[in-house]
Amino acid sequence: MVKVYRPSNLKEALEIISSEKCTLFAGGTDLMVKGKSWSGLEPSFDRPVVFISDLDELRKIKINEFFLTIGGACTFTRIIDNSQIPDFIKEAFIMIASPGIRNMATIGGNICNSSPAGDCLPLLYAMDASVVLESIYGRREVNIEDFILGPGKNVIGWNEILTEVRIPTKNFKIRAYRKVGTRKSTALSKVSFAGLAEIEGEELKDIRFAFGAVGPTVVRSRRIEKKIVEMVSEKKLEVGEIKKMYGSIIKPIDDQRSTANYRREVCLRFVENFLMSCKWR
Amino acid sequence: MEFNISQSVRREDVPDKIAGIAKYIGDYKFKDMLYARTLRSTEARAIIKNIVFPKLPDGYCIVDKGDVPGRNRVKIIDYDMPFFADGVVNYIGEPIALVVGKDKRVIESILSQIRVEYQRIEPILSVEDGLNAEKPIFGDNNCFSDYTISKGDMVSAKRRAKFVYEGEYETGYQEQFYLEPQGMIGVYEEGKVSIYGSIQCPYYVKNAVEECLGFEPYRVRIVQTTTGGGFGGKEDYPSLIGGQVACAALKTKKPVCLIFERNEDIEVTTKRHPSKIRLKSYIDENYRVLGMEGDIVLDAGAYSGLSSVVLQRAMFASAGVYNIENLVVRGRAVATNKVVSGAFRGFGAPQAFFAIEMHMEHIARELGIDPFEFKLSNILRQGDRSTTGGLYRDRILLPEMVNRVIKMSSLEEKKKAFKEKRKIGKLNGIGLSMFFHGGGFTGSGERDHIKGRVRLVKDDKGYVEILVSNVEMGQGAGTTLRKIAAKTLEVPLSKIIFNNPDTDRVPDSGPTVASRTTVIVGKLVQEASEKLKERWSEDRVEVEVQYKYPEGFYWDNDRFEGDAYTSYSWGVNAVEVEVDPTTCEVKINGVWAVFDIGSAIDERIVKGQIDGGIVQGLGYASIEVMEDRSGKIMQRKSTDYTIPTSMDVPEIKSELMCEPYGGGPFGAKALGELTLVGAAPAYALAIEDALGVKINKIPVRPEHLMEVVQNGK
Amino acid sequence: MENKIRFTLNFKTVEISASPLKRLLDVLREDFSLTGTKEGCGEGECGACSIIVDGELVNSCLYPVGRVEGKEVLTIEGFRSTPEFEVLRESFEEAGAVQCGFCTPGMIMAAEFLLRKYPHPTEEQIRKGISGNLCRCTGYDMIVKAIKLASERGDGLW
Repeated sequence: MVKVYRPSNLKEALEIISSEKCTLFAGGTDLMVKGKSWSGLEPSFDRPVVFISDLDELRKIKINEFFLTIGGACTFTRIIDNSQIPDFIKEAFIMIASPGIRNMATIGGNICNSSPAGDCLPLLYAMDASVVLESIYGRREVNIEDFILGPGKNVIGWNEILTEVRIPTKNFKIRAYRKVGTRKSTALSKVSFAGLAEIEGEELKDIRFAFGAVGPTVVRSRRIEKKIVEMVSEKKLEVGEIKKMYGSIIKPIDDQRSTANYRREVCLRFVENFLMSCKWR
Repeated sequence: MEFNISQSVRREDVPDKIAGIAKYIGDYKFKDMLYARTLRSTEARAIIKNIVFPKLPDGYCIVDKGDVPGRNRVKIIDYDMPFFADGVVNYIGEPIALVVGKDKRVIESILSQIRVEYQRIEPILSVEDGLNAEKPIFGDNNCFSDYTISKGDMVSAKRRAKFVYEGEYETGYQEQFYLEPQGMIGVYEEGKVSIYGSIQCPYYVKNAVEECLGFEPYRVRIVQTTTGGGFGGKEDYPSLIGGQVACAALKTKKPVCLIFERNEDIEVTTKRHPSKIRLKSYIDENYRVLGMEGDIVLDAGAYSGLSSVVLQRAMFASAGVYNIENLVVRGRAVATNKVVSGAFRGFGAPQAFFAIEMHMEHIARELGIDPFEFKLSNILRQGDRSTTGGLYRDRILLPEMVNRVIKMSSLEEKKKAFKEKRKIGKLNGIGLSMFFHGGGFTGSGERDHIKGRVRLVKDDKGYVEILVSNVEMGQGAGTTLRKIAAKTLEVPLSKIIFNNPDTDRVPDSGPTVASRTTVIVGKLVQEASEKLKERWSEDRVEVEVQYKYPEGFYWDNDRFEGDAYTSYSWGVNAVEVEVDPTTCEVKINGVWAVFDIGSAIDERIVKGQIDGGIVQGLGYASIEVMEDRSGKIMQRKSTDYTIPTSMDVPEIKSELMCEPYGGGPFGAKALGELTLVGAAPAYALAIEDALGVKINKIPVRPEHLMEVVQNGK
Repeated sequence: MENKIRFTLNFKTVEISASPLKRLLDVLREDFSLTGTKEGCGEGECGACSIIVDGELVNSCLYPVGRVEGKEVLTIEGFRSTPEFEVLRESFEEAGAVQCGFCTPGMIMAAEFLLRKYPHPTEEQIRKGISGNLCRCTGYDMIVKAIKLASERGDGLW
C-alpha cells in the first residue's frame, strides 16, 4: 500500500510532489479503473498518491475579454453548470460519460490522462487552449498541442500540477462539435470533432479543425487551415482537395470500437459538411 | 376472491429491492467464508503439459480436477464440459483451477505466480474452419449436432417454381449482461453441501453437483438467492461454477464464495450463438413460396452445452410465420475453440427470425412486389402445418395484429412522408417484423425430460405456499404464480406465499427457461390449486401435481416430426429509425408492438417483459457488438460491450391481442422470450427503408453502413 | 497505510481506519455492512453503486474513501428514511420500474439527484439523468414514468 497525501492547499501539494514522485489524483475516474483490482481490494498504485480534487485554488472558473480560465480540478459538471461559459464549449463536456462520472471527472485529469479519445480535447486544440503547470519553482504555460505527446504521454514534470486551463475567448461565428460514440451515453468516442470558423462579411478570417480518437494525439493542421483561408480568399475553395489533405494526415486504426475506414470517412465528412455550411460560398 | 387476473397487483419482491434490503449473493457473509478466484486458460487450444504452483501459505489451497470426487464433467445435456480442465483446454478463459483462501490479496498473489505450461494445438477459430477440421474438437465431423428436418416434396416444389431467391444472413454474439454478475457460495456442513447462488435452474445445479461430488441427492441442496437478472445466462453456466464451489467447500470444509468480476463475466460466460443462415426459396407465379431450403450453422464454441436445443429452436423457426409446405432445413452446431455459446432469451429464434424476415423482404424487393402483400399472402393460418408438420390448432391473429401496428405507428403515412424527406437528404425509415415463439420445451421435452412437479401446502391459518423450483429473477414469476393460485383458490393474494426456492423444500418443477414458467408451471399451479380447493376444509393440506402431455399432440424426437410446441405466442413489431447521413449513426425514433400472449396474467408485468425484451432485441440489432480475434473476445470490458442506456431507446408503445390457449392458466401463453425476437429484423428493415440498401447482418454497425454507402457511390 | 477518516454517513458522524485508497463502495459494503449499494461493473459504467456525496451523485466504485473526509455521504440505507424516498418507492412500485432490482438502489439515488436539480423534469431530462445507470430488465420506460410520477406526487418536496 502506498502513502496517501491529502494536502489542504496548493502550496502544500506542490511541496509534497517536489520531494517525491507521486501520482496526482483529481477525479480519479481513469486512475481507479486503471488500478482496479479484484472487487474488495483497493486499487493498485505504484507511487504515493496526492488527492488534489478538493483544493480550492484548482476549482475556480474565471472569464474576461481575453481568456476563459478553468481550474484544473473543476469537474465537468462544474463547467456545465457555470453560467459564464459559452454553450458551445460546454457541449464538449455534456457529451462525456454519465452524470455520476461528470460529477467526479475533472478537466485537468482529462487532459493529463492524455488519451487521444479524451472528449474535451478536440475543442481545446481548436480553441488554442493552453495549460498552466505550477511547481514550487514557479509556473509555465504550455499550449495544449505541445503538452500532449501521445497516448498517456505529456510534458508535465513530476513536481508540477496542472492548475489552470486557459482558453482564449475568441469569438467564432460558426462552430461545430460532434462526438460519435459507441452509444448515446456512457460511451467512449469512435471519433470526435471540433470545427470553428470566423467570418467577417464574405471573408474567412480563421478556420480550425481538430479530430479526436483518430491518431495517437488529437489531429490538427494549421497548414491545411491556412490553405483553406487562402483558397477562400481567392474564391477557389476545393473541398475535395481539402478532404484529400486531411485524408493524408488522419490515420486512425481498427479496434474494438470502430474501424479505420469509418473513422477517417466520418472526419472527412465532418470537414465537408462544415465547409459546405459556411456562408462565404 | 374475485379479481381480474390481468389487472396489475403490487409485487411483493419489489419494496425490498427498492430499499436495498433484498440480499443478492454478493450480500451474503458466512462465518469463516473463504474466497475463490479462477485460474483460466490463456490459450484457445492446448495440452496442459504442467502446472507449477507456488508454495501456498497456510489456509490457502488449489482446487482442480484432482478435487472432483465424482465425474469431472458438467451435465448440461451431454457430459463434455469439465468442471476443471482435464489435461487440455479448448477456449481462452476455460477454468483450470480455483485458488481458495481467506485474504483476496494473497489469492491474487498466488494466482499471479502460477505457471501453466501449454503445448499449443492449432485452434479452430471460425465455423468455416470448424466444418473442415483436420483435428476436430468433437466427434468426427466437429459438429455437436447435425440435423435435418424436411416436409413435403421439394422436388415438385422446385419444378413448379418460377422464381428462386437465395440469401445468406449472419448474426453475432450477444452477452446477457444481467446487472448482477454470476456468483455462488458453497457450504459444507455435516456431510452435506449447500450451494447458494444467482441462478435460474436450481435442479440443473443440483443434478450437476450431485454428479460432480458423487453424492446422493439428499446430500446436495441448492438455494436460490435474489437473482439480479438471468436472460438465459444463469441457465447453464451456474451448473459449472456450482460444481466448482461444491468441490472447494468439500475440500476446505468452509464456505467458499466465487463471484465474478464484470469483465470476467463478459469474457468467459455463455453467450448467444453467432449464426450463419442460408435460405433458398422457390416461388411460383402467384408469389407463393412453394418451398425453402435452409442451412443453419451455429458457432457453438468449445463445448456442446445447450447447443443442440438452441439449434432445434432455430430450425423449427426457420420458415418464420409463413406457410411453406415443402421444406428441407439442415442445421449444424459447430465446435470452435471459443467461449461456449449457450442460452439467451429467444434461444435460436432471434437468429432464425432475423434471417427469414430479411429474406422475405428481399424476395419481394427482388420480384418488385409489395413486401407486406407478399408476406401476408404467405402467412400462416389456423390449420396450416409447422416446419415439423405440427398443426396450428388455434387462430392466428397476425393479419389483425399487423393492421393494428400499422395504425399505431402510422406506418403508411410515414412511409410516404419519409420518401419525400429522403429527397432533401433526411434518412428516415420504418420496418415491420412478424414472429412467434413456442411456449415451453420443444417437442415432448416437458413430458420426457422435465416431468415438472408442483406442490402446494396449506397451513392451518389458511396460508398457501407455492413450492416450485422456478425462480423470481426479475421477470415477475413469483407474483404471476401467486395470482394464479389466489384466483383459482378464490382467496386473497396475501394468503399465497412464494419464497425463493430451496431444493430441500421444493419439488422439481423444471428450470426457469423457455418461457415456460407461466404457461407450463402456472398451469400446474392452477391444477394443484383446484385440487387443494376441494380439500380446503382440512387443517393442513399438501397437494402435488405432475405435468401431463396434452392429448391430441404428437412428437417424434428422432425424426423431429409433429408438434414442436403445444402453444404459440405471436408478435408484430415496427421500428422507426433515422440514419445520420454524415455518420451513419442510427437513432431509434419509435417502437410499436402488438403481441398475442393469450391472456395477460398481470398487465404491468407483461409490459415490463415487452419493454425489456424489445430493448434487448434492439441492442442485439445495433450497438451490442461482440467479435473475436484469435479466439479472444475483443469487447471484453463493460466499456466496450455496450448495452443500451436510457438515451439509446425511445418510449415503446405496445398493445395485446388475445387468442387464449386452453392448455395455459386462464388462457395464458408464453411471453418472456417472444418479446426479444422481432426487434432485430424490424430495426434492420427500418434501416433498409431509410437507406435503400440490403442488410444481411446484425448488429448493423454504422461502420458497415458507411462501407455500403461508400461502395454505392 | 491506514488513515483515520471521519465523515457523515447517512446523517451520522462516523470514523474509520482504512487505507484512503480503498473504494468507498467496499467501505460501505464491508466496513459498514451497507449492502444496498451494489457493484455491477466496478468501472463506473453501470451506476449500480451510485450514491450521493456532498449533494453530488457519484459512482462509489471509483471513489476512494480518503476523499470523503469531512463530507456527507448518503446511501440508499440513509435515504430510505426520508419522505422523498417514500414518494420514489411508491412511484417505482406503481409504475413497474423494478424487475431484478439490482440496478434499483443506484437508480433511486440517480433519481433523487435528478429531482433535486430538476423538481419537474422533462422526459429528456429524466433519460439523461439516469443515463449512467444501466438496467437490463425494463428497457427504461417504466423507470422514466416512475420518476415522472414521483415528480408530480412529490410536488414541493424537491
